[in-house]
Amino acid sequence: MPSADSEIKSSWADQVEQDEDDLPPPSECIEGDTKVVTEYKVNDEGKKVKVVRYYKIEHRKVSKTVAKRKTWKKFGEARNDPPGPNPTNTVVSEEIFMQFLSNKEEERQTDDDPLNKLKGQKIVKCRICKDDHWTTQCPFKDKLGALPDLLKDDTNPGFLAATATTAAATPSTSQVEDKMKAGKYVPPSMREGANRRGESMVSSRNRDDAATIRVTNLSEDVRDSDLQDLFRPFGNIARIYLAKDKVTGHSKGFAFINFLRREDAARAIAGVNGFGYDNLILNVEWAKPSGTS
Amino acid sequence: MKPLLLHGHERAITQIKYNREGDLLFSCAKDHTPNVWFSLNGERLGTFNGHNGAVWGIDVNWDSTRVITGAADNTCRIWDLETGTEITTISTENAVRSCGFSYSGKQIMYTTDKSMGFESSVYVFDLEAGKQLLGEDSLMKAQSSGNKITSAIWGPLDEYIITGHENGDLVKWDVLTGNQIQRVQEHKGTINDLQHYKDQSMFITASKDKTAKLFDTATFEHLKTYKTERPVNSAAISPIRDHVVLGGGQEAMDVTTTSARAGKFDARFFHLVFEDEFGRVKDHFGPINSVAFHPDGKSYSSGGEDGYVRVHVFDPPYFDFLFEC
Repeated sequence: MPSADSEIKSSWADQVEQDEDDLPPPSECIEGDTKVVTEYKVNDEGKKVKVVRYYKIEHRKVSKTVAKRKTWKKFGEARNDPPGPNPTNTVVSEEIFMQFLSNKEEERQTDDDPLNKLKGQKIVKCRICKDDHWTTQCPFKDKLGALPDLLKDDTNPGFLAATATTAAATPSTSQVEDKMKAGKYVPPSMREGANRRGESMVSSRNRDDAATIRVTNLSEDVRDSDLQDLFRPFGNIARIYLAKDKVTGHSKGFAFINFLRREDAARAIAGVNGFGYDNLILNVEWAKPSGTS
Repeated sequence: MKPLLLHGHERAITQIKYNREGDLLFSCAKDHTPNVWFSLNGERLGTFNGHNGAVWGIDVNWDSTRVITGAADNTCRIWDLETGTEITTISTENAVRSCGFSYSGKQIMYTTDKSMGFESSVYVFDLEAGKQLLGEDSLMKAQSSGNKITSAIWGPLDEYIITGHENGDLVKWDVLTGNQIQRVQEHKGTINDLQHYKDQSMFITASKDKTAKLFDTATFEHLKTYKTERPVNSAAISPIRDHVVLGGGQEAMDVTTTSARAGKFDARFFHLVFEDEFGRVKDHFGPINSVAFHPDGKSYSSGGEDGYVRVHVFDPPYFDFLFEC
């Protein structure tokens, strides 16, 4: 390495800097009860650094034997160390604090706080009848008890809202179009249809995706048949995919339901989303087309 | 607090110990040179050069004139503290696991590992007898048949030696006859460390079974248990307050194979009587292998698998802290 270095001609500017490399000698001075040690060195980035260390000089009264030991000569590998701590061996590390645990008074206070905040608020709201009680205590809680009216009445506002959201789906493309109109440059990868590769390749999949809903927060014990029972009332189902653990065979907590008709899927979302099933609250939404994640 | 970082070892610390006055701190590690430091400012007084193997144990006598070290190079060495020169080397059949001066300083004991056809044994030598300085004619030799001795300390009045074993046994050996006086098994795992209370009326054990236990020295009665969720490598009792400090952590060999959950390497403070944890100090980057309280109780040190010894001087909050029950 050194030979290679010497062969390469360093630039003129570098040479000048190197010539200036002689650093001021370290100095030490004692002021009152503090000792100040000033050193100069070049750090990793090649910059000169002034290091000032402050030591507090303390005088302590100790027993004779301890005082005598303080005067002993250093030995072994410390033989050549100067008096006082050698910075290579002894470092004062960063300030740390002892964490005190289980201060019971504090615990009690924190326990109280959240309750105080909730006082005077309506804490509980039934998801079925919107009354002031837990869903499990709802008189209409029986399986899909509240749903039949929803199914019968196609003008149900919930259902309308659901279809409205489907109409507003694919917002990303509309945004892109807006951008195009605004005259901004849109890279081809962001343009409409950028992630649509071959029309024929995806078409079958697209059709599936359109009427597919994703059900999450299912319990472990859910079986395909349970899902069938749950979603059959909404319409004809083309396919049910329940993600299962390969080893245990338990459900992984989510499933995809392909309906034949998109309206059925929309109704299923409106009906079952937020529905309590097996002590868990189901989350039902449109499945995102695969490959868009 | 701003701990002093003592970086004199290249490998994991195996044991640290204060002398009686607490002005010196001794440390030994799996590298071959034990160190001695001034505990007040972290200045290194010297190193004891000569061992050719991991040094497992270190002790200093009552008046801080001699130091004994036991190492895996099958030797136990006695050093002059003032000059760092070796006084004698006692050769053993096996690696020396722990060693110690008796209170009088006239006798030493060390324990050896079990291997190469030799059983794990306790040896006692009289330093006054010339021959025994060379490792011949031990005053007492006792074999622990079956399970290895992993830690040992002198009992009060130099009458017996307490050893902790691989299977969690605690044994009391008569120094004169070499007979077992008492044997109890309270731990389910290796006893990594034994440390006396300042008046030797009780001692604390640190075990791989994730607990530390307090015992009455005279009767071996199990008094208290301090539970953690990782192996305990070392435990010490505060000389001034009803506190114990536990150091430990996942075993070094398991650190890379288990999930990297931080916060297992902190020193943990328990109340001596109520057995409840009340504080933690987190600063080592690996398991703590040895902890020791300063004899004045105002600071403590810990030596870790990371090769650093850290000297912590307690802040006022520690002294103001009152345990509530």
